[in-house]
Amino acid sequence: MPDPLQATLRIAGSGLEAQSARLRVISENIANAQSTGDTPGADPYTRQTISFDSVLDRSLGVPLVRVKTIGQDDTPFKVEHDPGNPAADASGFVKMPNVDVLTELADMREANRTYEANLQVAKQSAELLGQTVNLLKDA
Amino acid sequence: MSQPYVLQLAAQRTQWLSARDALIAANVANASTPGFQATDLQPFSAILDSAQVTMASTNPAHMTPGGDGFAEARVVDSDSPETTLSGNSVDVENEMMKLGEVNRDYTMATNIKRVMHQMIMSVLK
Repeated sequence: MPDPLQATLRIAGSGLEAQSARLRVISENIANAQSTGDTPGADPYTRQTISFDSVLDRSLGVPLVRVKTIGQDDTPFKVEHDPGNPAADASGFVKMPNVDVLTELADMREANRTYEANLQVAKQSAELLGQTVNLLKDA
Repeated sequence: MSQPYVLQLAAQRTQWLSARDALIAANVANASTPGFQATDLQPFSAILDSAQVTMASTNPAHMTPGGDGFAEARVVDSDSPETTLSGNSVDVENEMMKLGEVNRDYTMATNIKRVMHQMIMSVLK
């Protein structure tokens, strides 16, 4: 088995990668919260979802994390009455994306917090490795 | 010559702490993975208590059975208070507490090693 402290750095790294992918998906959703289709009656932007999976790293013997799927949210689109919109259908209704900005913001906070936790783990294992190396200094 | 007992114990302690650190890292990294069960290492004291009594070797050709009994620290499911709807039982706050604990204990163990070395060196100088 390799040094567990090195393994810790790898695991925390995989966590950081996963959480930043999550933040990317959230930012795409928020950026497109008002993106309608461009032809009358066309479907607007569909909210994206992300799911994670833990994979056992054979060389380390510990579960790393990776992005499993980036899927689409199939909740129905909201409909607004806006006859002037280029995406409005014959009766003046426009399909709006199924993105709820409040949900996205809550999810963003959670991703943020988990990212920070992973960062803390990485920092700490680097510090512990440093302490061990420093034993050589005054021997 | 075998190592002084304190140094040996400190080495085992750091070994155990770094293994625990890796498990904490795995829990934190999988904090959003559906169905992930948080794990922890068996307490260090439990491992010391269960350390096997080895037979005295009266002849250098005798082999000790089953190693020193330390390397096999068992991984156990951690008793986290809640499981989310997705079946994930990682409690990030709890993991951060454990991380602080590991940090303090590791510092303690390395400082003990340092002091032991200084004592040995003070005899030699």
